[in-house]
Amino acid sequence: MGVDHDTIVGLSKSFGLFYLIALSAAVMIYAYWPSNKKHFDNAAKTILRDEDKPWR
Amino acid sequence: MISTLTKGERELAIVILGILACVGLAMAAAGRADPLGAHGWLIIALCVPMIFFVIAGYYTPQPAEERLSQYYDDPSKAGIIAAMVWVVFGLFVGDWVAWQLVYPDLTFDAAWSSFGRIRPVHTTSVIFGFGGNALIATSLHVLQRTSRARLPDQLSPWFVLVGYNLFCLIAVTGYLMGVTQSKEYAEPEWYADIWLVIVWVVYFLIYLRTLARRKEPHIYVANWYYMAFILVVAVLHIVNNIAVPVSFGHAKSYSLFSGVQDAMTQWWYGHNAVAFFLTSGFLGMMYYYLPMRAGRPIFSYRMSIISFWGITFMYMWVGSHHLHYTALPQWVQTLGMTFSLMLLVPSWASAGNALLTLNGAWHKVRDDATLRFMMVAAVFYGLTTFEGSFMAIRPVNALSHYTDWTIGHVHAGALGWVALITFGSIYAVVPWLWKREAMYSGRLVELHFWLALSGTIIYVFAMWNSGIIQGLMWRTYNESGTLAYSFLDSLVAMHPYYIARATGGLLFFLGAVVGFYNIWMTIRTAPAAQVSDVRTDIPVPASAGTPALQPGE
Amino acid sequence: MFGLHYKLERTTIGFALAVIVAASIGGFVEIAPLFTIDETVEKAPDMRVYTPLEIAGRNIYIREGCYACHSQMIRTLRDEVDRYGPYSLAVESQYDHPMLWGSKRTGPDLARLGGKYSDEWHVAHLINPRNVVSVSKMPPYGWLARTTLRIDDLGEHLETLRRVGVPYTDEMIAHASADAYGQARPDSTYAEAVRTRYGEATQIRSFDGRSNEPTEMAALVAYLQILGRLTDVATKSAAQAGE
Repeated sequence: MGVDHDTIVGLSKSFGLFYLIALSAAVMIYAYWPSNKKHFDNAAKTILRDEDKPWR
Repeated sequence: MISTLTKGERELAIVILGILACVGLAMAAAGRADPLGAHGWLIIALCVPMIFFVIAGYYTPQPAEERLSQYYDDPSKAGIIAAMVWVVFGLFVGDWVAWQLVYPDLTFDAAWSSFGRIRPVHTTSVIFGFGGNALIATSLHVLQRTSRARLPDQLSPWFVLVGYNLFCLIAVTGYLMGVTQSKEYAEPEWYADIWLVIVWVVYFLIYLRTLARRKEPHIYVANWYYMAFILVVAVLHIVNNIAVPVSFGHAKSYSLFSGVQDAMTQWWYGHNAVAFFLTSGFLGMMYYYLPMRAGRPIFSYRMSIISFWGITFMYMWVGSHHLHYTALPQWVQTLGMTFSLMLLVPSWASAGNALLTLNGAWHKVRDDATLRFMMVAAVFYGLTTFEGSFMAIRPVNALSHYTDWTIGHVHAGALGWVALITFGSIYAVVPWLWKREAMYSGRLVELHFWLALSGTIIYVFAMWNSGIIQGLMWRTYNESGTLAYSFLDSLVAMHPYYIARATGGLLFFLGAVVGFYNIWMTIRTAPAAQVSDVRTDIPVPASAGTPALQPGE
Repeated sequence: MFGLHYKLERTTIGFALAVIVAASIGGFVEIAPLFTIDETVEKAPDMRVYTPLEIAGRNIYIREGCYACHSQMIRTLRDEVDRYGPYSLAVESQYDHPMLWGSKRTGPDLARLGGKYSDEWHVAHLINPRNVVSVSKMPPYGWLARTTLRIDDLGEHLETLRRVGVPYTDEMIAHASADAYGQARPDSTYAEAVRTRYGEATQIRSFDGRSNEPTEMAALVAYLQILGRLTDVATKSAAQAGE
């Protein structure tokens, strides 16, 4: 293989970390963004609507 | 069953079965001197009767347009029955294997019945046979309800269900003949693996096509988990099973990877099979059936999103905790350990979310064994993920690895979490699917619950004890600086725990038999007099659509 | 701005891709470096490959699921080294397709089993473990001694192994079946060639104590007797550490 071991390990160690932080930040911000709250509350209740037919 | 297929689908079904039968014939011819040939005949023996079955129903009237205003649940029904058949079979074999460790001569000196061959029969039957069928059946049910759209066609779900069970059957019969790759939880050989990929692609396409036609703008979180299950299992399955067959007439193949690479790939697969097959999929089940049964929306939808991405991302890193202190480079081991610890956060967020959903509905948990199945499952999920993170710590792993503690941990998860959430979901969904008022017998559900719970606890405690004793005996030195116990000393010390374990397994097996009988009787009894609202057995929320706000929202 | 995730959900394929990306990076970061690991792993120039008979035995070991109860990986822990021998090195399983490190020790570790017991002990033990070890929980494998070993296709097996990276020569592949016979039947005309092809240290014995067609027992015992003995790099490095 063209790339040597240390380069790949280095990339794994640095990029992997930043990727982890960025991903968790994005998920947290998205989940707790105030304007998304109503949308999520709706989603949670939507399954409980009492009906058993596809909408057409 | 054939009457629900359109004319075109019936024709396509015959063509597909015909192609499969030809493939079977080719395998039988090419593998005359090999177990591969036997599998060829097995495929023919299954496909030819199915062809006749389709032909027999070919001239029945086509389904009416009306069908499109209803969900298509027949595959889900069949999947649930298949799951129950597999679980009874798989638990029976599992308990037999457990008794073999007490009485090793229970093999009756036959090749097919020795521990090494029927252990994978047990694991495959319960994980893939029971778990997989339950996941397929419930996912198709949940997918339609949450999308408010019918499945895109009638044939592809049957293809997935029948094809998947064919895979399980080839796998299990293969082990009995000695066909195995020896990769734990990925034992089936190359031809079964290729077949599973085809089935899996169709399964994913059903998901995509139904979601694309959904009437509900938001994709409910249960579907996220089911999707992650389908997608990641596909990636894992393909990568871990890359192998070169000896020839097209041989069942045997050689893995492309060797040694340390193979070990890492195998446990990357192995642990993520736990993550995405036994966790993600069943969380999907929990996020739908638990709120439905409790009649309350999930405690925090936002927490479920965070747990989803946490689980999807972090699980992928933890496989190397299976290889502590081995020839695997240490930085990989450390990475696996660190992520295993972090994983506790999304795992407990999911378990907590489930339990907090029940806050305010504890009286239902007390009275309703079905809901109690789900509640106890969430508790076991929390316990097992904590234990898992703990065992991933290197010094702890030094003690626990290679011992029965691992077996206890796995069964706390498999019996306590996976099986209980599945039984709970099945007891919830069976009356809905077959349009019955309730299960045939609520007392039998209660009986099953207590058999399952006591069986699990006996099993897990027996294995904790034996595992820790084993680990301690192996590392104890006496005063002169030599090892205090021989390996045989530790083996003798295990004997009483092996009896206890097999007894716990027996209770769990009996519970499943009770469950099978109860489901069978529910299906057989006539539907309650024209139930107009099929969901009368679930507690209806105060006023559907606007439940009271929950704390934490 | 945070409509992004919302749109992601609406386009199912985008969502599917996001799941794959989030999930596969962990695997990639961990596994990719292992494929360049030959640069950092210890070398074993004296290491030999499995003979055809040993490969056949190894396949029986796999077929019978021995790995479910026996590990082949001695960890770097004092008690394991004291009990089983020098800890396992990565290079020792470099020709193992697949590896058989195992995950459970219902029975003892086998990584350094080779040469520990006699062939007769292994045969008696496999026929009925409780004849030799009264408290054993191992199932009996009597039928191995009753089943003739299939050797006609071993050339194909070796060729496949070469395709996945094991350095078998054309000559080894061409004579695989004869070599398997010769290694288990020291008095036959095929025996001497095995030693020239696979090295002086190759064990050429009637592993199953018979003189007719080799049985599956012969192959399995031949494999068990080579465990940990393809190279002595582990013993050497242990000796150096002790100095």
